[in-house]
Parts: sequence; C-alpha cells; structure tokens
Amino acid sequence: MKDLKHLIYFENLLQEAHNELVTQAISEGMHPLGYNCYYIPETLLNLPGCFSSRLRAPRCVSTDIASYYMTTRNCPYVRSILERAIEGGYNYLEALFGAESCAAMERMEEHFVLIHPVKNEKFFSTIIDPPMKGDDNNLAYYKAQLQLKVVDKLRDELGIDVSEEAMKKAIEDHNEISRVITEIGDFRKLSNPPITGYEFHVIQLVSQVCPHYLILPYLQETLEELKTREPEPKFPFRARVALVGSEVDDPEFTKLIESCGAMVVADRYCFGSFPSREQIVIQEGETAFDAICRHYLHWNQCARFMDGMKIDQRHSEVKRLVDEFKADGVIYENMKFCEFWSYEKVLANHIFTNELHIPCCTIEKEYALGAVGQLRTRFQAFIESLEIKSIQGGK
Amino acid sequence: MKKVVHFILKLVGKLALVGLIAFVVTFTIYMTNAENKLIYYVVRPLLNKHYDAQVRDRRI
Amino acid sequence: MKATDKLIKAIDKKLERFDPLWQAEHGVGGFRSRYYDKTGVAKYREWRGVKDTFYDYSQWLKNLGSMAMMVGSAPIPCLKGFWEYRWMGSYLGTFMFIDRLFEGYRGYELRIAHMNMHAIVQSLTKKIALVLANDRRFGGGPLTDRMVPMDEVLPPLFMAGFKDLIPVPLQTLPEFIICDIDQHIEPYYIDVAESYGLPADVCSRCAAETGVAIDDAFPIFGKAFLTTNMPCNASEATSMFQRRRIKLPDQPVTMAMIHNEPGAHPYSTGELKNAIAFIEKEYGVKYDWDALFERARHMNEQNLIELEKWDILKTPYSALAGIAETLYRLYSWASVNGQEDYFTETDRKVIKLMRKAYEEKYQPFQGKTRHRAFLWGPSAVYYTDFPTWVQNCWGINIVLNMDSTMGHNMISTDDPEQAIQDLALFSEKAVMRHHAVGGWDNVNAIWEWAKNFNCDMVLFNDNVACKGMNGVHALMEEQARELGFHFIFIEHDLEDSRTVSRQEMRKCVNNYMSVVLGEQPLDPTIVEFDDSAAY
Repeated sequence: MKDLKHLIYFENLLQEAHNELVTQAISEGMHPLGYNCYYIPETLLNLPGCFSSRLRAPRCVSTDIASYYMTTRNCPYVRSILERAIEGGYNYLEALFGAESCAAMERMEEHFVLIHPVKNEKFFSTIIDPPMKGDDNNLAYYKAQLQLKVVDKLRDELGIDVSEEAMKKAIEDHNEISRVITEIGDFRKLSNPPITGYEFHVIQLVSQVCPHYLILPYLQETLEELKTREPEPKFPFRARVALVGSEVDDPEFTKLIESCGAMVVADRYCFGSFPSREQIVIQEGETAFDAICRHYLHWNQCARFMDGMKIDQRHSEVKRLVDEFKADGVIYENMKFCEFWSYEKVLANHIFTNELHIPCCTIEKEYALGAVGQLRTRFQAFIESLEIKSIQGGK
Repeated sequence: MKKVVHFILKLVGKLALVGLIAFVVTFTIYMTNAENKLIYYVVRPLLNKHYDAQVRDRRI
Repeated sequence: MKATDKLIKAIDKKLERFDPLWQAEHGVGGFRSRYYDKTGVAKYREWRGVKDTFYDYSQWLKNLGSMAMMVGSAPIPCLKGFWEYRWMGSYLGTFMFIDRLFEGYRGYELRIAHMNMHAIVQSLTKKIALVLANDRRFGGGPLTDRMVPMDEVLPPLFMAGFKDLIPVPLQTLPEFIICDIDQHIEPYYIDVAESYGLPADVCSRCAAETGVAIDDAFPIFGKAFLTTNMPCNASEATSMFQRRRIKLPDQPVTMAMIHNEPGAHPYSTGELKNAIAFIEKEYGVKYDWDALFERARHMNEQNLIELEKWDILKTPYSALAGIAETLYRLYSWASVNGQEDYFTETDRKVIKLMRKAYEEKYQPFQGKTRHRAFLWGPSAVYYTDFPTWVQNCWGINIVLNMDSTMGHNMISTDDPEQAIQDLALFSEKAVMRHHAVGGWDNVNAIWEWAKNFNCDMVLFNDNVACKGMNGVHALMEEQARELGFHFIFIEHDLEDSRTVSRQEMRKCVNNYMSVVLGEQPLDPTIVEFDDSAAY
C-alpha cells in the first residue's frame, strides 16, 4: 500500500508527551490537562479553553527512580509514567486528573503531589474514586466525584467555562473526532482493509495525546485519503485478531503482532478505540454533564467492574468486535503486575475458548518492549493455530 | 441413712478416682504434647494421602 | 505466705531449668530447645511454672471441650467435612497453633490471651459445625436456606437486621483462618489457581480464594451471595471466579475506596441499603431495625471497651499484648462484628483484668520489653506468631496492629437512617483496607498512631504482592527517617510461605536489630531456625 501522507508526522508526535501540537496549543493559551485512565472522561478535559493529554512515557527505557519509590514489584506502566514525570517530561501540564482505577495507578498519581515531579507552578492534581458497578448508586457517585474533582476544579482553578453550553460544545468536539476515528477504524472490517492495525493504532493514539482541534484536520484528511487508498492486491496477513486487555500505548506492540502474521482488526484495550470513540448522545431530560457521565460509565470496559451485568458486557463486547471485525481469534494481554487484567485474562480465556469457542491467546507484557523473542514465539504459534483452524474449516 | 452416706462416699470416691485418672491421662497427653505428635506424624499424613488421591471437580 | 504458695514456689524453683525463659537467661537453651527440627512439633509442652502451666492446661482442656462439642453437635457432617475438604484437615493443627502463639506468656498476659483465644475457638467451632451441618454438598440442613454467604471482608453487622438469617463469612473457614493455623494449606489452592494461568505476582490471599473456588472447595449454602470490593483490587477480581462457582444470585457491596472524604459515605450508605434490599428480595424477609439496634449495642460496647484498652495499651502496663490483642480484635471485629454475646462478655472480663494489672503496675513479659512497636500493613497470615517471636527474641512488643484500628465509631441504636450512615462509615474501615488503601493520608497515619501509643518502632508488613503498599515504599522510609522512628520492612507473601519463608521474615528483623541497633537477642536459640515443615 502507498504510505499514508501523515503517518510519519503522527509517529513523530508520539515520540514525546510534550509534542509540537501540545506546544502550539499552550502557546495559544490553552490549558493542558493530563489523565491516565478512561474513567476520567476525555470530553470534560476538552471543554473550551483546555485540552486533554493522555499520559504516555514513550521511549522509556529505565524506571530506576520510580522503582525506588514504588518498588520493582509494581505495574511498569505507572512506574514509567512516574519516571517520566521525574525526568521532567510532563512539566507542560497544568493539572493531572487521576482515578483510583487500581492501587498502583492511585499511588503513582499521589506521587505527583507528594514529591512534586511536575515543575509547573500552576500544576494541581485530584484523584476520583471511580465506581465499580453500573447501577444508579454508582452513577450518582461517579457524577458527584467528577463534579467535585474535575468540573469544579476546572472552573475554580483554571477559570474554565463549565456551563451547559460549554459541555455541549465539548460533546460536539468529542463526537466529531470520534466519528472520524470510527470511520477510519471501520475500514478494518473489510476483508482486505486499506489500513493496518499498526496505522490505526498510531492514529488512535495521536487523537488521545494531541489537542483535538489541532489534530482533527490531519485525521479528516487521513480519512479522505483512506477512502481512495488502494489496499494490497491480496490480504497480506494470515489471520485477523482482536487485541484485548490493559494498557497498550506503544504501536510497536501492534506492529509486533502484525509482523508475526496477524492483523489487529479490533483494539479493545486502554488507549484503544473500544471504548473511547463512541458517540455521546444527550437523552431527553439529561444535562450534557449527565450524558457524559452516563456514557463513560456505560462504555467503560475496565476489568475492575464487579457486577454481573458489567462482567458480561466485557465479554459480549469483545464477542461483538470479533463478529463485526471478522476476527479469527483474540489476544488477551495484561501489563505485568496488573491484578485486574491478570484475573480477567484467566476468566476470559476460559469463556472464549470453552464457552464461545473463539480461539484465545493470553500473554503478559512489560511496558517498554524490550526482548520480544518470547512474545513473538507465542504469537507465531497462535497465528499458526488460527491458520490451521481456518484451513480445516474452523474445526 | 448409714447406707446412703456410705453410697455417697463411695460414689464421691469413685468420681474422685475417675477424675484423678482423667487428670493424669489428660495432663500426661498435655505435657508430652502427645496429641500434636499423633496429629502431625500419623493423622495428617494419612489425611493428606486421601486428599491427594481425591478427584476434584476443577473448573472455572 | 500461704503453705500452698510456698510449695508452688519450691516446685517452681526445682523445675525452673525446664522453663525456656530461664534457659535463655542462663545460656542453657531457650524456646527452640524443646522442638524437633523443622517440624514445629514440641517434644513436650512449655513449662511456665506451676500456676501458669496448670492454667494453660485448663485452657487446653476448655478448647478441647469446644472441639468435642463441635463434633458432638454434628458428628456425621464433621466427618464428611474432614473427608471432603482438604482445609478441614488443617484445623487439626489448632492446638499447635495456640501453643506457638502464646510461647513465653505468663501471668496476666497468659490469662487474657487464653480468654481471647477461647472466645475465638468456641465461636469458630460452632461456625464450622453450623456450616458443615447445612452444607448442601452433604445434603443440606434445616438452616441451609437461612444462611447468607458473605465475603469475609464485608463487616456483617448490618445483617443483624435480618434476625432470622445467619450471615456467614464464606472465605474465613477454607482460607483466612486456616492459613493462620497451617502455613502449608493455601499454597495448594494457590497452585490450583496458577495452574489455570493466574500469574504468581497477584495477591496470594485472593489467589488462594480463587483456587478454593476452582477446586470446588467452598461449602455450599444460602440463597444469595454478598460480595465486596474490599479490601483491594485482587479481592474485587477474585469475586468474578467465586460468583461463577457458587452460582447464586450475587450483589457486590462496593464500598468507597477513597473513604476518608465526606462524599464517600452517602455512596457507601446507598450500597448498604441496596444490599439490604437485595437480601429482602432474595430471601423474602423484612429488615428489622430493632434487631439491628440490639446487636449494634453490643458492637458499641465492644468498641467502647476497645478504646479503654487502647488507653492502657499506651502504657507499659498492658497485660493485653502482642498476638493476643491482634488476633482477637481481627476475629471479633471482622467475623463476629457484634453478633455474639460471648465476645462482649469476654471484653468485659478482659478489661477488668487489664485494669487490675494496670493498677498493680504489672509489666508483661517479665518487663523484658525493649522496644514498643506498631505493626503496620497487612500481616503475613502464615506467620501469625510473628509478634510472639519478636517479643521473645528481641524484646519488641507489638503494641497494636493496623487491623486493630478498624471501625470504632458508635452506631445509632434508635434512628434507622443515622444507623445505616454510621454503619457505612464503620464498614468502610474494614480489615486490611482501613489504612492500606484509599489514599496516602490513610497509610501515612501510622506515625500519629505510633506516637500516640508511645512506640519507638514501626514494623511495616511488606506484602510483596500488595501493589498499594508497594507504591509507598520509599515515602514511608523517608518519613520514618524524618520522624525518628526505627523502621523495618518485613517482607512476606501474605498466604504463600514459599515465596518468603518465616525465617526470611525473621531475618529482616534480625538484620536490623543486630546490624543497625547492635542489640543482643533475648533468646539466641530463636534468632535463626528452620520451621519450614511446621504447620
């Protein structure tokens, strides 16, 4: 396939958290707001006058200082983020909106206050207590937490307009960028898509780490380009897989899977487009803020949800993606030391393999992709098994 | 009356004897840690053999 | 002096060479001398002097009686239980467990320790009999449908409003209590879970619970199941497996994680209300506030006594010490939670004895305490007698333990709305999570606690798999240095003694005491020893 016009530009934007579009937005007077987790609605951080920056630690090779603070027995993602903060990589941030999505995440976010790694005098941070069920009591708590620790803070600390109109504007912005990303992502449903999983991963990531109003024109142009992009004459992969699990913010990981022969057709992981790029609909009788909270609670697929309805939703959503994107199998990954996804991976592997009869491969990974030999072997073996299955007519 | 007193004394004597024997036996078990030795060296190894031989209905 | 006292004194003098305390003092042995190597099996029981040995013997008989009553009340189910459940076999180690907990205890501290321990034994044996006699696996019983399986970390007091139902902490029997008694039981269940792909780096407590579920080793009873998010991430996750295996309608009672903020309590109150509504629906019963108030009065009294105990614990004259305090508070709060009169009665007796000992200026452990330590962080369940060891070996008295600080707010006994709000606050401060999760302030509270209890030392339980506590490692160390506390990380793996053995835990203390403080042990025979094959 012909290279995408902006791919190299997008890849370069992913080399630093403080990339050139972030710099440009700050110079234009926008407030940069950091977050780590889907529990913090990106939409609220894109109210007029501010923009969201989902924290990554690209090219992080060592976490020595963060490991001193949090031990080597903790999630490598949170350690990498803390390390990058200590290195000064997030000095552009004016706020970090955290969520106690897991103990490791919460402890890392606390360090942003306790050891002052962000050298920006405006910087402040809050941590919400996110819900674990999808019922009304939990929705009410979620709303109260977001109101108190995000919306009120934005208004009081940064003077952001948090009115109904502003919220509606933020939803419009969200829906537009989500529409574009979803349209791009939907090409993956084709039997011979004009886009690879890696390319889509890069596109999805830039939409999360760059100011929306600056990245959107590039994404729109890419969408137009894809409409006429000629795919390879023959589908170049041996299988199609859905990638599911915890945090994956390095497109090289997707590239690794694809280099083993399977196209990543669906991305249901933290930083992926499922969930994150669904349309927010304001229902009758709802305020825009209500709609945002309901939307994010409904679509959240985090493994920490405990009620049967949300547990089932986690699996039915992956099944839906497998069906819609015609995946031959599912790769479940979890970040090393991640309690939630370690458990979910075991359960999901059982459900997919034994109950839904969808081939499933489970792996555990580090944050920084170092020695990938073992992973490559696992993926190759899995893809080979998918291929054999396909040759045998699914038996 | 004498018979009753005699009976009661005899009963008390017997009970005291039983009590004494019970005390000697239990205190000996207690001091020599006999019950724990029996459990550790005999009962648990047998039970563990049984548990190891069980076929459990293992599933998620 | 009375003749009997003279006689006892003479016998004590004659037999003192068998007393490990005397042996250690005179360099002719010590606590480890009477053990067979590795096994933890003693050649003979500890000689504590005539009075204390006979007291210990009487309590042994009393506990034996409780166990006999357990078997007598449900002989067939008990036998079936021993046959069916691997974890039941481990309960045979109870006497060895009690012996090692109270090594070196004499006088008032021994009496209080046994009062507390018997309260646990009599309650636990009844609970085992109840569960086995109504286990559907063995055909069920008359109470099967009136029992409510609950997550053991969810404080069951609020369930007292269902006066015809019996809440039973589900994991306590097959997992939590039994790991205290036998360090080898949970590794079996952990291996079961890991054989299904669960990584070894998750919390071993929850891995063990998962293993029990997969191994089909939970007793089966009740009509609906209450789970919870407490104390932490892994316990939320293991619930997914338990609910699948138990196959009852379930309601997760998810209390606020960041619980030290005002906004948390209305949410947690809502969770409790929803749990009550769920039980009403599933069991077809009505909540009775008067029944709740009756038990809340007991809990309030126990907590008031607890506060008085703390006042005495702040002095050197507390006859309640070490594991006797820790284990009792853990069981009475987390498992009983105001629902058994026996515990209120025990508390009344214990506080009387504590007052008496305080008035007499009685110092426990023959006044050999050198350091007063606060034990922070979730303790190793497989090394319950660790506080006993640190006292006997290094003279470190564990004054109070993190989990003893659990919910001690008063609960309204006349206003339902106030009562449920009080219960929410109370329940948020549950075992292993009151201070371990929910924000830095909770864990950082240790220094205030340690200062208030006149401690010069903090022993920090460093569960290698606890992501939350690992996340504050350096900050805690820096705080200790700044505030001038002796501070020791005690590495452990909660329920898996293979990862960090008891000896490795002891080594953490040994190194600090000998290298940093340059102190000599009170009893050199227990500085380093192999108890890997012990229960």
